[in-house]
Amino acid sequence: MKKLFVLIAILVMAGILLVGCGGTAATPTQAALKFAVYAINSEPLTSWDPAIEYSNGIHVHNNMYEQLLRYDAIEKKIVPLLAESYEVSADGQTWTFKLRQGVKFQNGDPFTAEDVKFSIERTKQLGAGASYIWSAVEAINVLDPQTVEFKLSYKAPLDLIASTGYAAFIYSRKCVKEDNTWIEEAKGCGTGPYMLKSAKWGEEVILEKFAEYWGGWQENSFDTVVFRKVAEPATRRQVIETGEATITVELTYTDIEALKNNPKVKVYVEPSFQNLIAMFNTQKPPLDNVDLRRALSYAFPYEQVIKTAIGGYGRQSYGMVPYGMWGWSDQLPRYTYDLDRAREHLQKAGYGEGGLKLLLVYTAGNEAEKSAAELYKSELAKLNIDLEIRGMPWDSQWELAKGPAENRQDIFMMYWWPDMPSPYSMLYSTFHSEEEPLFNLSYYKNPRFDQLIDEANELTSTDRAKAEQMFIEAQRILLEDAVALFIYDRQDVWVTVANLQGFRFNPAYPTVVFFHQLTME
Amino acid sequence: MLARFSEVYQSLSPGLRELRLTLYLLNRNALQRASLIVIAFLVVVAILAPWIAPYPSHAFSATNPQDKLLPPSSRYLMGTDELGRDLFSRIIFGTRISLQTALVAVGLALLIGVPLGAVAGGLGGWVDELIMRITDVFLSFPPLLLAIAIAAFLGPSLGNAMLAIAISWWPWYTRIIRGQAVSVRERQFVRAALAIGAPMSRIIFRHILPNTMAPVIVQASMDLGGVILTIAALSFLGLGAQPPTPEWGLLISTSRTYFLNAWWYSTFPGIAIFVTVLAFNLIGDGIREVLDPRTRKF
Repeated sequence: MKKLFVLIAILVMAGILLVGCGGTAATPTQAALKFAVYAINSEPLTSWDPAIEYSNGIHVHNNMYEQLLRYDAIEKKIVPLLAESYEVSADGQTWTFKLRQGVKFQNGDPFTAEDVKFSIERTKQLGAGASYIWSAVEAINVLDPQTVEFKLSYKAPLDLIASTGYAAFIYSRKCVKEDNTWIEEAKGCGTGPYMLKSAKWGEEVILEKFAEYWGGWQENSFDTVVFRKVAEPATRRQVIETGEATITVELTYTDIEALKNNPKVKVYVEPSFQNLIAMFNTQKPPLDNVDLRRALSYAFPYEQVIKTAIGGYGRQSYGMVPYGMWGWSDQLPRYTYDLDRAREHLQKAGYGEGGLKLLLVYTAGNEAEKSAAELYKSELAKLNIDLEIRGMPWDSQWELAKGPAENRQDIFMMYWWPDMPSPYSMLYSTFHSEEEPLFNLSYYKNPRFDQLIDEANELTSTDRAKAEQMFIEAQRILLEDAVALFIYDRQDVWVTVANLQGFRFNPAYPTVVFFHQLTME
Repeated sequence: MLARFSEVYQSLSPGLRELRLTLYLLNRNALQRASLIVIAFLVVVAILAPWIAPYPSHAFSATNPQDKLLPPSSRYLMGTDELGRDLFSRIIFGTRISLQTALVAVGLALLIGVPLGAVAGGLGGWVDELIMRITDVFLSFPPLLLAIAIAAFLGPSLGNAMLAIAISWWPWYTRIIRGQAVSVRERQFVRAALAIGAPMSRIIFRHILPNTMAPVIVQASMDLGGVILTIAALSFLGLGAQPPTPEWGLLISTSRTYFLNAWWYSTFPGIAIFVTVLAFNLIGDGIREVLDPRTRKF
């Protein structure tokens, strides 16, 4: 009896195996054309809640949810999205948005002014992630189902705020639990072109087409979009070469050079709002000495670093605001690599003989930062300055910078990118005075600078030209005080399969691919 | 003073004779002879690094970006890295770093492990119990994981990596020494020393310890390979050597980004680690074979 049972079990197992094999062999067929895979370098998202997510999830959420407006950073103009038009009062403190008609949430509910009020109020109330962008908003009033009015407590550029890539999404109240928390993996919560199908936490997210999307669909649009984590850059190159992935980014420049000659892929070099900076510790000796900081600014081999560390995919920065954003100006002075001038300033600073020991920290695993640091070290060695470079995991690097003042680094190297397409977003977190250090890791305190950028921010919506001048002026102060090395404004290099059409990168939404625009030839 | 020296020599001379015999036996086996030659070669390379390396400055802060990622040629025997530095020179200096750090790490582990083992085995009782339970705690962690945790806690640097390895490695030596010490303690000469009223510390460190060292030396020589590998692993993970130190593990970690276009960059440091670790492991096996009466062949 027992033997018979074993025999049956074996037969059943064998049957399952055979069927299983047959099944997997048959799957990759017709659907392949309408299926897009985005190979990304880390987890697809860190929170399902569009009010909280302030990290990688930007590229998933921007395909599921929509803001009132979108900012086109290439054309430098506001594009209507959920709002068809908007008006601002003369004092810049009342904003009225006219909403698009006939828009539906993915769960079938109609989209109304109440949803706008609910979403923004909840996001603001949770106070997580990038919700601070709404801090100027005092009240949100529903005038009629298609009209919503924002009352501000002080002047702020609400059009830019409402188009931010984080924390500005409109979502369905049905996806929020009684206690105001988000229902994990809730479906149909947005008005965007794609809705959640399934997900493997930390690995991949699969979205499917929302057939009734207000923007309509083209014939060759993608039905399914997969966001998949592929951590190693060399592996990302391989999956795009084999066609396993449709689009990818963050490859090494040596791989990019090789891919340029591959007819199976297309390479796009796009401006991004990301820049590499190295912040000097202006509070701790010896770098509290402005002449020494100037000397160090002249000793940095900018051109060499751009050529070697990022293969030329970037340009030397003029100040903190990246190329392509308003507030960028080539009228600003910039430090160039000049060891003679560096020596002059060293003399002035009282370190003519060098003999200094400095600590630079960078994020471990970032090869561009590592190369830049090593090249800098070899230049400083010529000035008899010993630069210790230490690659640290981001958390420890940041902890060190926020920790006890006497242990802190001398130079903090990092990439920075804006939350909002405004110079304020580049300058506020990084150089505005802080009680406790968060991202002002130069520990810079200058009331004149603070006042200048705060006022410029208020002018942003009413007098853009004046605001721009003030932001440029503010950067001039930073350069005079040599608070940081403004190294380069990076370009993003995107690689897609050759028959992908319609790809256009918008640097206001870093790492985001708007899949609705894309088709397969 | 001189009398003292000869006394020490006398106590060591059986060991020296043993060592000569061991070397002789090792030398008879072709594989182990080859490993001995490789190790001797590596030591010579490490000592003479500044004179052998064609571009000694490339092992330190110098960079040479116009020659980045060049394949092997007569000018750069093993090619160049992403900042144009000669890989051959960097690997030569890497030999020095790997051997030094391995010796220091094993030395530190011995320094912690050996006295503790001798005390545990020599005294017995609750001291023995306490020390042995502590080693049990340490041994219950996978050694690489413990080293990673310690190095991450102390902060990334080569010195801390050595410390981390020593801390995760010492319990092995404690156990070996303790096992030996327990058996030596029952021998006549120890009893005699006890009988004439010698203090316990003298008995442990003068009488017991010297008679327990042989197996530890075997173990330590075998561990050198493992330690070199662990240091390379820590550096690979960013917890050991910091750039621009030409540590092999760090070289491989950096080369990972370029390996589809620059095969030489990962290959040569990889070969260096492979050959070194293999040589140490073979020699360790050889020593064990030769010292174990059951496998020893004359």
